[in-house]
Amino acid sequence: MSDVGIVRGCKIPKDLYYSVDDHTWVRVNDDGTVTVGMTDVAQNLAGPVLHAKVKKVGLTRAKGKPIGTVESAKWVGPIKTPVSGEIVEVNEKVTEDPQILNRDPYGEGWVVKMKPTNWDEEVKELVTGEEAIQKYLEKVEREDIKACEHIE
Amino acid sequence: MSKHGPVRLIDAGTIPYLQSQTIYHAIAYAMTPETPDTAILVSPDTPYVCVGFHQEVEREVDLDYCQAHNIPVTRREVGGGAVLLDDNQIFTQWVFQPDHVPLKVVDRFAWHAAPIMATYKDFGVEASFRPINDIHVHGKKIGGMGAALIGNAEVVVSSLMLDFDTHTMAKVLKVPNEKFRDKVFQGLENYMTTLKKELGHVPDRTEVKQRYIRHMEETLQRPVEEGSLTPHEQTVLTELTERFSQKDWLFKKGGLVRDAVKIHGGVWIGETALKAPGGLIRITLRIRENTIDDLVISGDFTFYPQDQLAAFEQYLKGTSMDPAALKQAIEAFYAANAVQTPGIETEHWLEVFGQLREAVAKHS
Repeated sequence: MSDVGIVRGCKIPKDLYYSVDDHTWVRVNDDGTVTVGMTDVAQNLAGPVLHAKVKKVGLTRAKGKPIGTVESAKWVGPIKTPVSGEIVEVNEKVTEDPQILNRDPYGEGWVVKMKPTNWDEEVKELVTGEEAIQKYLEKVEREDIKACEHIE
Repeated sequence: MSKHGPVRLIDAGTIPYLQSQTIYHAIAYAMTPETPDTAILVSPDTPYVCVGFHQEVEREVDLDYCQAHNIPVTRREVGGGAVLLDDNQIFTQWVFQPDHVPLKVVDRFAWHAAPIMATYKDFGVEASFRPINDIHVHGKKIGGMGAALIGNAEVVVSSLMLDFDTHTMAKVLKVPNEKFRDKVFQGLENYMTTLKKELGHVPDRTEVKQRYIRHMEETLQRPVEEGSLTPHEQTVLTELTERFSQKDWLFKKGGLVRDAVKIHGGVWIGETALKAPGGLIRITLRIRENTIDDLVISGDFTFYPQDQLAAFEQYLKGTSMDPAALKQAIEAFYAANAVQTPGIETEHWLEVFGQLREAVAKHS
């Protein structure tokens, strides 16, 4: 993995784009698709994920709509897509082994690949690199988010 | 809507069971930045079973029993396990703007529990918060809580437990056999309580509600004002009630398989089996605070002398579920009683107990 920032023990790779409020990340792929997942901060807030369900390939989702749901021991919530587009691939491993979201949120725990329909506009609302680190630092301090714990 | 303004109270009374679920979902889905934070008090007019968002209903609920006894079954968008709900519980459902709730989910549970516990205390029932999401009275559970992000709202739900039908609760769950069901029933009887159990009678419902509302104002430090659903919320309620009554919503494939039944945060009932060289070992176990509280061992293996099997069960009660403690207890019993179990070694016992330990850990 390339350069990774650390915010209260949570990993924030600098090459990704983030929707800090929704705790999601976006990776731009060479084929014009984007990969979307939950951040390390999100997995930490949720705790060990017991179950995850991902929407189906072919579904078109507007920005902010759920691309899946996660259930930890105590809380259920959606994973909201930070970009609009069509889901072209889903990570089946997330359903089979939901704690992959805790163990490797930026790698094997990716959630969906999407073909974005409004990327040039929507990317302006995402943050990346040092700006992402800064935004996350402000958020965890403002909201007093606990330090990241990692499941091996 | 201000974080300090009035909280809308919807005292929905006793209403059809589906609406008692869909009402808080509807307010959550209809929520806009202008929607006031809302607290709902509601009871269903008929007993029903409700499964957690990701549960598979056919694995969790004895649907034949429910059908034969006219107990409807539905699904909520909050997590957790299958529960029996009826009009002896007054459900407390808070639907708040996301930035108006404590950030940490565990803090939300303590926050939601505060007025419930204060209400119980008014009646002389010493309720306390048991992290992560239970309310206890002297070690017995009197209620649990759930949380979810639904639409644009953060939701926390629980109940004021006037009375609880443990008999029917044990009947509606799908369990491997009747012995297991007995254990679930005994677990519920021994480790759950209600206002009726504590006081010897069901207190006046209106008084319970009034006291709860006053304590809610104290906890939130905000005024609580009675209100009603907006026309838009009514429309969403109608749509959701239709969706929640559909078979495909109920039978939606979940995938969250629970192989142990939680009685409360520290008490679990589980059953597991292992095919060992000497035969099948089946153990039904009640675990309390990581210790064997009760167990039944069965199977088709040879235990010699046979009359020592009951003594073995008895001996293991009170033993920690930690492998080292179990190993020591098993080996000590074998040595002291000259037990022979051809093809069943200590490692097999440890494996079968280990399966149960993992099942509980997975859901804790």
